[in-house]
Amino acid sequence: MTPEEVAATPSVVRWFESARLDSDPDEEKQLRYGLLAAFCDHTGQSPDELVAGLLRTTKAGESAISAKRRKIMDASIEEFVEKSGFTGRDAVVNGNIIRSFLVHNGIFIQGRAWRG
Amino acid sequence: MEFKQVIGNRRSIRYFEPDKPVEKAKIQTMLEAANRASRSGNIDYWKALVVYRDELDQDTIDGLRVPTTTAELDMAPVQIYFFADLSYADPDNFRKNLKELVSLGALNPSHGWSDAYVDENVVGQIISPMLSDPQVVGWMGTIETGLAINQAMLAAVDEGLGVCLHAVNMETAKQVFKYPDHWLPCWVLLVGYPAEDPLTGGQRPRRSISTMAYLNNLDTPFEEDPAVTEQLKGSGLIQNEIDAEKRAAEVRQLARRFGLPE
Repeated sequence: MTPEEVAATPSVVRWFESARLDSDPDEEKQLRYGLLAAFCDHTGQSPDELVAGLLRTTKAGESAISAKRRKIMDASIEEFVEKSGFTGRDAVVNGNIIRSFLVHNGIFIQGRAWRG
Repeated sequence: MEFKQVIGNRRSIRYFEPDKPVEKAKIQTMLEAANRASRSGNIDYWKALVVYRDELDQDTIDGLRVPTTTAELDMAPVQIYFFADLSYADPDNFRKNLKELVSLGALNPSHGWSDAYVDENVVGQIISPMLSDPQVVGWMGTIETGLAINQAMLAAVDEGLGVCLHAVNMETAKQVFKYPDHWLPCWVLLVGYPAEDPLTGGQRPRRSISTMAYLNNLDTPFEEDPAVTEQLKGSGLIQNEIDAEKRAAEVRQLARRFGLPE
């Protein structure tokens, strides 16, 4: 997917609205779109599919986060960061940008903190 | 700090200065405060394991992470594991401690206490049956440990520290720290100097006490006296609620500092 296609998907629109990223400098917005687009290529899934794939339906018919798939997703983010050649602060920040997208789509996921 | 101000200033701190060391003396103060907590039978229910993050290897820190406690383990320099020691549930413990309290006059004849009562009645009639119920044993141990934890938290606030109770992966904790099977994990208290505003922009919303407390019967809410409420505001126990806009700006700035999701 191109960054432009990623930007137009409902889950990405939701992310930007919820995190109030729309008013950020264009450079920062493009960085986020580009990073998520690269992650989508890495996983072979669209942004909406990334979110939907982390949810399951309970026996009671309610939506719930799959802990197992979230763990796999977290590992996939780490793998993507490493494969992309990010190190140090960039590795933490860029991994957490992907997590931010998931967080604002209702997926409870946390990353590491950069201690400097 | 004044007592009411300490209570009013306590917050759950989630951003810590990762490299500002926490003085051992301050941890000792917290533990002594915990040790002064009310406890039935003067029994030592609570146990604590103080762990300095930098004494742990990275694999252990990673193994302690759970979805709700991840970045905090990177930031907080100190973790205090609180346990309820269920070995307290031994009638002989109660007998020994109650007799000590009788001998010191803490439990006294004015209220019916005597060595004879402890030896001949209370243990057999009350304590032993009570301790034979695992639900009661767990309830008592955890509630008394909770009282100790709360005093440690307030002492930390008084010392200028930030604290927050967390759950971590106790399978990892058990493997690494090898705590006894009869220690029931309660909470892990993360401790450090706040990287965020220690008052986090205001107090969390609290519903009026009249929605939770009653007077004399459950048909009569305990209504606040506005004059008392004003006094409590003056003393710092009741403070303004969080300003969401300012807080959002602070959270964003903190997220950027630590590279966390915004």
